[in-house]
Amino acid sequence: MPQAFDAQNPPFDRLTHAEAAELRSQLDIGYWPPGETIIGVGQPAGYLHVVIKGSVEERDGEEVENILRFKDSFDARALVHGAAGASFVAAEETLCYLAPKDVVLDLIKRNPGFAAFFYSELSRKLTGYASGPEGSGGVEQVLRARVKEARLHAAFFIDAGATIAETGKAMSERDSNALFVRDGDRVGIVTGMNLSKAAVLMALPLTTPIRDITHFQIHSVDEDDFIFEALIKMTRHNKRRLAVTSGRTFVGILEDIDILGLVAGNSQLIPGRIDRARSVDDLELPARDIQAQVERLHKQGVKVEVIAEITSDLNRALFAKLYDLIAPASIKEAGCLIVMGSEGRGEQTVRTDQDNGLLLDRPVPAEDLAKFRVDFTAALEKFGFPPCPGNVMVRNPQWSQTVEDFNRQLKSWVLTPDEFSAMNLGIFYDAIAVTGRGELLETAKTALSELMRGESAYLARFAKAIDQFEDASAGMLTSLMATVGVASDAIHIKKSGTFPIVHGVRVISIDRNVHAASTMGRLDELGAQSILSDDMVRDLKSALSYLMEVRLRSQLTSIRTGRHEEEAIVRLSELSTRDRDLLREALKVVKKFKEIVRSRYHLAML
Amino acid sequence: MRNFFLRQFDWVALNDRSYAFMFEKLGTEEVVSVDCETTGLNPHKDDIVTIAAVKIRGNKILTREAFRVSVNPEAVMPATSIKVHQIRKSDVAAERPIRKVLPALLRFIGNRPLVGYYIDFDVRMLNKDVFNMLNIGLQNPLIDVCDLYYSRKYGTAPPGTQLDLKFSSIQRDLELPVLQAHDAFNDAVSAAQMYVVLSDMARRGIRLKRSRDWSQPSMPLG
Repeated sequence: MPQAFDAQNPPFDRLTHAEAAELRSQLDIGYWPPGETIIGVGQPAGYLHVVIKGSVEERDGEEVENILRFKDSFDARALVHGAAGASFVAAEETLCYLAPKDVVLDLIKRNPGFAAFFYSELSRKLTGYASGPEGSGGVEQVLRARVKEARLHAAFFIDAGATIAETGKAMSERDSNALFVRDGDRVGIVTGMNLSKAAVLMALPLTTPIRDITHFQIHSVDEDDFIFEALIKMTRHNKRRLAVTSGRTFVGILEDIDILGLVAGNSQLIPGRIDRARSVDDLELPARDIQAQVERLHKQGVKVEVIAEITSDLNRALFAKLYDLIAPASIKEAGCLIVMGSEGRGEQTVRTDQDNGLLLDRPVPAEDLAKFRVDFTAALEKFGFPPCPGNVMVRNPQWSQTVEDFNRQLKSWVLTPDEFSAMNLGIFYDAIAVTGRGELLETAKTALSELMRGESAYLARFAKAIDQFEDASAGMLTSLMATVGVASDAIHIKKSGTFPIVHGVRVISIDRNVHAASTMGRLDELGAQSILSDDMVRDLKSALSYLMEVRLRSQLTSIRTGRHEEEAIVRLSELSTRDRDLLREALKVVKKFKEIVRSRYHLAML
Repeated sequence: MRNFFLRQFDWVALNDRSYAFMFEKLGTEEVVSVDCETTGLNPHKDDIVTIAAVKIRGNKILTREAFRVSVNPEAVMPATSIKVHQIRKSDVAAERPIRKVLPALLRFIGNRPLVGYYIDFDVRMLNKDVFNMLNIGLQNPLIDVCDLYYSRKYGTAPPGTQLDLKFSSIQRDLELPVLQAHDAFNDAVSAAQMYVVLSDMARRGIRLKRSRDWSQPSMPLG
């Protein structure tokens, strides 16, 4: 209803005042009792539904995938593609605004920002890109890019008389999944999927001419058209591909995934810019872009492990280039730059610290080393890498010395029974070589393994660190206390969640000589060696993945709100029911795993 | 029986046969939610300022085709009522008088049952002018959301139970969105929402809990 309908809420905040008023005047209200299906799977929808009261379950079969509440809207897919991807069932007495399909489609046509939301819904990516003050720019920019700016697939023509077999061969030779088909004056498109269907489902002989299976009604855009025009055509005609023309000739094929590639942004462009940098100053922009794309990728629904992997790769390229730019010849000849901790495991997303070091195979001139230590750390700080609280940085002479001295250092840490040395060893165990003489790191790591192998007393002390933070409970009592305001409902996601998993896995990996760098990789190896059960490996991986996701979300929020001290804090009261359930499950897994580590290393006796 | 005869009298009294539809048997499941803002609470002295009517068809509230009209009242608009609905004399000076807008309203509501919050009052206000025009009053069955709410909430209450039938209380109890009140359209839409929720509860035999005030908020982690 009109007045009360909140157009400040995405995606409606993309509408102009006039468009919002137009939409308001066209709204009806629908009511469903609990258990009633609002849209069945595969059904078309006459309306876009926006929840006013109650809640709606998005179900895939019996499984509830999502719960929609006040202000959530559904279902873009049913609206645009004419078939809902899931069923939508009222979970309580539910009232929804009903925005008629033709009105919404008309707005999609006219307003590219609004259209982008629907396209993103359809592709099940780009979730909620509009939530932040920044970041939405990426999508808008892409929509206003020209078709020719996307990575187009080159146009290859094949004659309509060619057989299915020949066409398949041509596709694989050209590494292309769609070809133009010329049949006299007609031009059509044939895709790999068409070939498969013809051969597998219709059981046509492979000698059938492709004329019989080609679509000759093709939809096309001009290479000078805007990307959003292409998006609209794809959504309207339910096509994943469009032919691209230049004037009257076909010049290529645009796939929906290419557009996503454009939106996903410049992560593929950053390495080039790092590579071209001629000075430390040139690196600053790409360094900040690495950080900016974390949020963008997250909003696009990219999984946190993938974000971490991309980010780590880019950070390493950045470190290597920085080293290349500022290390004097003496250090370059003798040194190996390493990154450690989360950066080494490839699990860093939002920058929380820098754990880096330098190993040398022989002493270098003191003034070279002194200058490098200061310059390297200062440059990273300028790029937005906060200094490491544990001072695990090139700047610290402990972390930039000859391998020989460093091995002595390792030994003294192994012999010193305190948490500080345990943490240093843990961080170092995660080291990987970024650039320079990688064999130096191998030497140091071998030395560490030899020091620790079979030292069960030491391993036990090392493992003890998982107990340094007490268990968080997302149980009933905590939340009950929190609702009456007695206890804080805050959970420190790193201390109670990710750290015990990462460290516990690290301890067992040292013990069992596991070589993988990432926690996920280590878990796979431990599973393969039957040191952890398959179930435990699977549970730990999904718990870690979920905890990293929650942590990333809270980090991004803290960046937006400027409350940096809260970056690892998650408040139960701010989570949806589904998230609370998942968090509770994840913390249960953590607890179980801690028990396993405790009994394995007899921690109860220490 | 008495109603039947009253209807027969009205049928005879109706002075404009083009309004015969008012007497037709109910042929549809539709109802209409109606709300009027007035210059005051006395039907004898006060006049209607705005009227809104919204059809309800099955589970849908058809806000899209709502009937909304402002009226130029003949009665003086006292400051007290202007404070309530925030419509000044000057805001409605250019509007048509009620007799000009009634035909459209009557055709909009037709013979459908009328839904509203204390709907009797709105009907009494309207009937003043309907009488002047047609010599009879509205024939529509009336459904008061207060009655629906009362029977869901207090139907089995022990004697002496404190009743709270305030508009805002019902809204809160049903967890409906609170719209800016004292706008005829918003109030008609709110009453329509109350109607769909309450009549569905009645169909399913669901009762509203009393004394929700001290009940604990539901446990988030069960």
